[in-house]
Amino acid sequence: MRTILSSEWLKLRSVTSTYQALGVAALTVVLGMIWTFYVSGLADERGALRAAAPEQGFLPLIQISLAVLGVLAITAEQASGMIRTSLTVVPNRGTLLLAKAGVVAAVTFVAANSIIVLTYVTSRLIAGERHLQFNESSLANDLPMLLASGLSVTVLALVGLGLGVATRSTAAAIVSVVSLLFVLPGIANYLPAPWNTRVAALMLPNLVPQIADQRLSRRLGDGFLPPWAALVVLAAYAIVALAAGFYLFRRRDA
Amino acid sequence: MSVLASEWLKVRTVRSSYLMLGLSLVGILLGVAVAWAAVGMYDSATPAQQAHAAIADLEEVVLMVPQLCMGVLGVLTITSEYTTGLIRTSLAIVPRRWPVLAGKSAIVGLLGLVTGPMVVFGTYVAARWMLGDRFGGSYTTPFLDRLPTLITSSLTVAVFALLGLGLGATLRSTAGAITILVGLVYVIPIIVGNLPEPWSERLGSLMIGALPREITGDDLTHSVYGSLLSPVAAAMVLIAYAVLPLLVGAWLMRRKDA
Amino acid sequence: MVRCGERPPYLILYRVIELNRLTKRYGDTLAVDDLSFKIEPGHVTGFLGPNGAGKSTTMRLILGLDSATSGQALVNGRRYTSLSRPMREVGALLDASAVHGGRRAYDHLLCLARTNDIGPTRVAEVLEQVGLAGVARKRVGGFSLGMKQRLGIAAALLGDPGTLMFDEPVNGLDPDGVRWIRDLMRSMAKEGRTILLSSHLMSEMALTAERIIILGRGKLIMEATVAELTERYPSLEDAYLALTASSVEYGAAR
Repeated sequence: MRTILSSEWLKLRSVTSTYQALGVAALTVVLGMIWTFYVSGLADERGALRAAAPEQGFLPLIQISLAVLGVLAITAEQASGMIRTSLTVVPNRGTLLLAKAGVVAAVTFVAANSIIVLTYVTSRLIAGERHLQFNESSLANDLPMLLASGLSVTVLALVGLGLGVATRSTAAAIVSVVSLLFVLPGIANYLPAPWNTRVAALMLPNLVPQIADQRLSRRLGDGFLPPWAALVVLAAYAIVALAAGFYLFRRRDA
Repeated sequence: MSVLASEWLKVRTVRSSYLMLGLSLVGILLGVAVAWAAVGMYDSATPAQQAHAAIADLEEVVLMVPQLCMGVLGVLTITSEYTTGLIRTSLAIVPRRWPVLAGKSAIVGLLGLVTGPMVVFGTYVAARWMLGDRFGGSYTTPFLDRLPTLITSSLTVAVFALLGLGLGATLRSTAGAITILVGLVYVIPIIVGNLPEPWSERLGSLMIGALPREITGDDLTHSVYGSLLSPVAAAMVLIAYAVLPLLVGAWLMRRKDA
Repeated sequence: MVRCGERPPYLILYRVIELNRLTKRYGDTLAVDDLSFKIEPGHVTGFLGPNGAGKSTTMRLILGLDSATSGQALVNGRRYTSLSRPMREVGALLDASAVHGGRRAYDHLLCLARTNDIGPTRVAEVLEQVGLAGVARKRVGGFSLGMKQRLGIAAALLGDPGTLMFDEPVNGLDPDGVRWIRDLMRSMAKEGRTILLSSHLMSEMALTAERIIILGRGKLIMEATVAELTERYPSLEDAYLALTASSVEYGAAR
């Protein structure tokens, strides 16, 4: 397993698409700084305002770009046919998929948390003592949200990997991830109350605030999942996608 | 003309085209499901609750399904050729490069022009029939009053198809083009929505979602984006979304080796 | 590496590919139909048959990439998928273009090598052996078909395996490369390895192989030595055309 993990790590490291995905995700830090400079300027004019925290506002950017990284980890092999070579040198498909999942999870977890923490720190440093609302709560208060955000990125990358294995197509897998991340939650928003909140509470992006025990949004109010349950649902997304992928991966001819 | 026929054949003979067209039409089903749930809830609510109940325009809610699908179809029309190397064959047969891209544009644009109205009008008709005069009569506005916005909304599907094609021609990578497409449609509007005023409304007015209503000047207060553009300006922006990436793509196709 | 006389049971199992009533059905078509044969070490075995005869499918079945409908394929007495270090027992080149174009040649090989605990020195060695040492740091996407064939052969050689399978390895190679691969195969066979080589180039096959297996519509048509065939027919090509005349599926009108 160690040898296969190190091979998968090298695979990820040796293609430019990985760096492009990480680069787009890392844009969050820069955008967060621009954002904070901008709202700080406004605050200097107006005295105080309510601004969204940049690591929350730009989270979808990290989520989608690292989910694409997860998708490409498998679909790039399937599109080129490299997967057959990979399965020739590692005939056990469960081991191969597990190693891929392990490397994708580790890389996205470290990358997402670094980006989020860096965005958090730089934006608070820039904001200083101004009254921007987002910089006025303590780190202990913000920590659950930061951890949940980082975790959601890893889960999305694993969902992308699982869907990539299942669909064998970059386009189909990305479209599926986008549906889970944007389309379905968007439609759930428009259901009449109280069903909008009930359905939306189970949607992937809305699990993050529920894990941190915060309200979903101004429009939706509080979700109904306690933090532990939201965490379980979040993990279930990754597990179901990977299990479905593995089931098909084992059954199908390569 | 023969380029057009060949491009049409190419789209028609791969499974992913049918998948994307089929998924686009699933948008209607989603709209029907939401309408059905809404009717059930409305009818079981008390009169006091009914008086306050509201519902969004469902054809606008489900619009993102055909937008995304046709956008991806547009992307795949060109990136799949780069992935397989077929583009070299295509360009060898039609050595001048712009007719290839123009042919593809015509085909995916046309598919968008067909799919968009099907989903928008299909959802509208179904929702109107199912909801009747519930929800304070949201769906009792005369059809002719809603018609202009329905038309401009359905046009955005064709814009997405062309936008996808343009991004695909520019980036030559399925993953890259779809990611940027998704960024333009979903991520940037979220970020723009979080901006403080006046920028939220200024930039929001430029989002594709805002343009159909800005062009017709219909019901602007309900726009979740912004409504600062005049009809003509909004129409120009919508066209720019479709045309600019295509021009960049065409320019790159001429400059780079296949 | 070669285990000698004192342990006879191993000698029998070692470096042998054995098919036992192997059958693969895709829907209504039998791609491989009740195929049984044994490929033994010490010489190059040529694998012939018209397009669609089932040669590539047979190779994929041996490697466990496709699962057999019935029957089995054994490598050194075991199913391929049960091997823990498969690269050290079997090397295979199925489709030379099945590589990630964005990866450098050296990294591509190292990704494969690591899974079987093979070190970077061996990677450098095989790159040298196939003549790609000069372009080891170049991205594979820019390689010609001939270079990709060499890269695929390098991958097959990585584990210094006792058994090698090549599907159309001379495609795209220049005359120099064709000569090189012919000499390589013959010398490896002389070292006591088992070599299965599929090709459509009869003249090349006549120069390289000693034994021939001919498939037609998934069935075994003939198993003989090249010498036996050229005794009965004017040339290997005439033998092939005569034997497969009834099983050509995609033939031009004559």
